[in-house]
Amino acid sequence: MQEIIIGIGVTALAGALAAIAGAAEDTESNIGSQGDPNSQVQLAPQMGYTHRIYNKAVSGEPPAYTLWVTLACGVAWAFLMLGVNAILAIVFGTVLATFVQGVYATTAYLGRTASLSKFGQPVFIDVIKSVTTVTMAHAFVAIITTVTVCYLMMTVIGHPFALPLLGIVWGLALGAAGSATGNPYYGKERQYQNQKFGAGVPISASGNIVRYAEAGQRSSIDNGFFTAKFGGPASGLCFGLIVFFELWRTILFEDYLAGWGAVIAGAVIIIIFMIIDRYVEVWGRKNYGPYTVEASA
Amino acid sequence: MSAIAAKPGANAGAFQPVPSVIAIVLAIILVVVAYFLGSAGILAGGAMPVLQTLCLIILGAALIAFGVHFVPVGGAPAAMGQAPGIATGVAMLATGAGLAGLFGGAWAAELGLGVALASGAIGGALMMAITCLMVNISYVFGMGIPAASGKVLKDPITGDLQAAYKSQGTEGHGLPFISYVGGVIGGLFGGLGGTLIYIELLNFYNVGLPALGFVGAEGINMLAVGLAGIFAIGMFLVIAVLSAYNITGTIEGPHDPKFKRFPRAIVAAILASAVCGLVAMLVVALF
Repeated sequence: MQEIIIGIGVTALAGALAAIAGAAEDTESNIGSQGDPNSQVQLAPQMGYTHRIYNKAVSGEPPAYTLWVTLACGVAWAFLMLGVNAILAIVFGTVLATFVQGVYATTAYLGRTASLSKFGQPVFIDVIKSVTTVTMAHAFVAIITTVTVCYLMMTVIGHPFALPLLGIVWGLALGAAGSATGNPYYGKERQYQNQKFGAGVPISASGNIVRYAEAGQRSSIDNGFFTAKFGGPASGLCFGLIVFFELWRTILFEDYLAGWGAVIAGAVIIIIFMIIDRYVEVWGRKNYGPYTVEASA
Repeated sequence: MSAIAAKPGANAGAFQPVPSVIAIVLAIILVVVAYFLGSAGILAGGAMPVLQTLCLIILGAALIAFGVHFVPVGGAPAAMGQAPGIATGVAMLATGAGLAGLFGGAWAAELGLGVALASGAIGGALMMAITCLMVNISYVFGMGIPAASGKVLKDPITGDLQAAYKSQGTEGHGLPFISYVGGVIGGLFGGLGGTLIYIELLNFYNVGLPALGFVGAEGINMLAVGLAGIFAIGMFLVIAVLSAYNITGTIEGPHDPKFKRFPRAIVAAILASAVCGLVAMLVVALF
């Protein structure tokens, strides 16, 4: 009984940490412009719209976070093997991974932006100075929480995978969940804030991203401020729910029916999510659609 | 012929019999090589267990390749609400779901093959069910956009009309119910295939590592889990990327015309997994 209670407590803690990780990951990727919407940041100068938006999408979010989280997990694991305190080991690993993220961000911004020089896009040194550290800070939060989740899975819950292997699995899942949930909000709602609300961006508007703020040119840090209100928490909820239900169904129901209890519980949870999704879809159709052609004056 | 002149014809993505037969023959040769390595004692366990391991690894890879085609991926256009699907890459999303499944399957490995495979499949499906739900919540509650498919007039499951809910100048947006179900099925197959590869490799290493003689009894299981996990993840990435090439960009799910391309990806996965599987087994070969 005590094991189950500890297991549920750790599951709740891991879910909460994963929620923070998801929110920080999405905000980091939006400030650094690393998700799929970055195609528009790269495209804009080619269409004649130069800007001051950060641009570091050399790789997608999932492989990038796989690298950083696995690196942090690997270093933390090495320190743990040397007998270093677990909290210190996790911090050491995360700090190293964050520096790697900083180097990656700087070289990616310089490389991608310099490749646009023939379209008149300048490289802004003050953008590197001001934005890179902000992405590093968010990356630190995302990495340290994910590494802690992996550590809890390895030690308290007793998953057979070693810490670096768990880092590959959950680093990739973090990037996949964050980019899937957060990208549309950054792409449609922020980069194309000048387009109509409640409709997709017409393909003809591609590249015409919003480049000006209330005063002066738009900064990437403001993109993080904007998406942290919806895209970030939604991504956090997504990753938090994934981690929570993956652990919860196993810890609570694995002892029933020789292990099939966890499988059945998982199937029931999937069906419940499917019903909720259908409700959300029907709600959207009833309240927003169908689209009608505007009457010309 | 220049690259511009070489436009894809009407049969782009069509099944090509000659290369497929060559690929299958090469895969069979590799399986026969594994059989003889097993019978010669170079691969531990004997000829039949080695044959069974490689064949089940190939089956797992084929399941992954099939599953990737179900996952609705919209890439960059989806991030602007210009196309339906999830706004990320095919390979990465499918791998994320598959590895979440592998996590569950590896955890349940000691409970038997059936439970582990089912747990892996459900783990992958659960990851996709939550992700797809949050995508639709983002579109509907965050951006005020209803889900609409650009490839079919009616949702094949619910019968909902799609064209009227598509905003002007786009190919659709969000995840209609058929795409949602496709995502869950994709996660199911991905988790199942990934876990099958992992468990087969784990069993093989548990036999092969003691035969090498330099690993202590207490370290065998940890090393076997690590090796099997790394190779399973690596093979998952190989198959997911191959399938992503077959899809070329975006796919809405099982109702998308591109879905019919899956036999070609399965053939490629059979050959790629035969090569990768044999290499993974040769790691503990007794030369």
